[in-house]
Amino acid sequence: MSSSINTVCKNLKRCCVPALAIVICASVWALWAQAQEVALRAPSGAVAGTTASIGTSGGGSATFYLAGPAIAVKRDVQLGQDISLSPKDLQSAGRYVAIVCAPECTSVVFFVVPSKPSRLTFLVHPSRAPVSLNDVISGVAIPFDEFQNMVIAPLNIQFQLAAKGSAPTSRNVQTKDGAAWFRTNSGKAAGAMQVIASLKDVTAKRVVQQVASDPCSLRIKGQPTAKGILVETEPVRDCSGNPVPDGTIVTFTAKNGNQTSFVDAPVKQDVARATLLVKGSVVVSAASGVAMGNELRLNGKE
Amino acid sequence: MKLAMKPLPCKSAQSLAIAALALLTCMQLSAADGTPQVTLNVAKASPRTVESLTERAIVRDYKFAWASLNNAMQTNSTDPLDGLFAGTANAWFGAAIKSQRRSGITSRYLNQVHKVDAVFYAPEGDVIELHDSAEYDLEIRDGDKAIHNEHATVDYVVLMTPGADRWVIRQLQAVPHF
Repeated sequence: MSSSINTVCKNLKRCCVPALAIVICASVWALWAQAQEVALRAPSGAVAGTTASIGTSGGGSATFYLAGPAIAVKRDVQLGQDISLSPKDLQSAGRYVAIVCAPECTSVVFFVVPSKPSRLTFLVHPSRAPVSLNDVISGVAIPFDEFQNMVIAPLNIQFQLAAKGSAPTSRNVQTKDGAAWFRTNSGKAAGAMQVIASLKDVTAKRVVQQVASDPCSLRIKGQPTAKGILVETEPVRDCSGNPVPDGTIVTFTAKNGNQTSFVDAPVKQDVARATLLVKGSVVVSAASGVAMGNELRLNGKE
Repeated sequence: MKLAMKPLPCKSAQSLAIAALALLTCMQLSAADGTPQVTLNVAKASPRTVESLTERAIVRDYKFAWASLNNAMQTNSTDPLDGLFAGTANAWFGAAIKSQRRSGITSRYLNQVHKVDAVFYAPEGDVIELHDSAEYDLEIRDGDKAIHNEHATVDYVVLMTPGADRWVIRQLQAVPHF
């Protein structure tokens, strides 16, 4: 087509007024250029937050559109020149459609991939865990870049766990589909457990408070008072020897013949105590969770 | 033993044919009328298995989220996104809609079909990752003029978390391939 225009123009210059021929030819060239379908070259390997450019063919002015995950741009461009895209245009990873209309529209699709990880979303459960339980603590780490793009490529994440009374442990887990996770037992001693997820220089730290488990056994003692019988436990501990938290309920039961009465008392500073308003000879016992205490035979106020 | 196969009576055959036709029409209509088609496969989900009630809730909420996203991008209003998208997803689509409004552009996701696989379900059930092989007709308009039409097949990595009464999308990121 272009060679035909060239031939016609040469002939026009020979047979007609040269100036007129130049004007006609220039107009024909402009129309031809506009009628050409514009070819767009998508950027390859575009990374979030970096510059990129889209190559164009043809000539003249056109309207450029860019539709991405978090952006829609419209601006005038010159065909035949590269369309430059700023880092801000390409912050979100995903699929972009670049369109040029002159006036017919041509489009090209390209992908932007996340940049290097700069943040870890780290979910750890639970915030309080009883000691000596299997697989009770779990964590999930998902890496993101500085523009909140999820980094899907496999990465090695190190999980470190450190708690009072036990040696720190660590394990390396490779992300699969962008996520890495672990599950572990709680330690033997109550106290804070530091859980750290790290990926090169990016770290995220969480704390799991390890608390005493359920009471393991109960020992009670009692003595008659003016009102009845005062009973109290010895310090209540779980099977690992940790004092149970304040507020743990101990139920005292008093049996007098066919009559049975119950009193619930919270543990306060390791000990639960209650006054039983009973008369005569009674058998007192205590229970908390699955732990049963010893029985006491006492005489209350007659 | 001989099994006798009776030919279906004419009326039954007609009823079956009508029912099948109605079902087919219904399936086509649901995609054509703007309601996305979503199928979810939870067989690959780990380490936690997806309970059937959760599966149904995710399908319901994911379908509604895409229908609302289409509505939001078509009308350039962020209202349909509220409560369905959170965090990054909400910020991204909110920004896209605002810049569409500035540029006079609208987008439509028509005839959506989503084949979704649950690939990761956190041990405590507080986040699920989905892989969505989506197909739709993408139409981009500048005012009244259609500037882009394509039948797109797009792979999305999706993060959803449970909210008070529904699952919300936190990340909806297109990838070149899974």
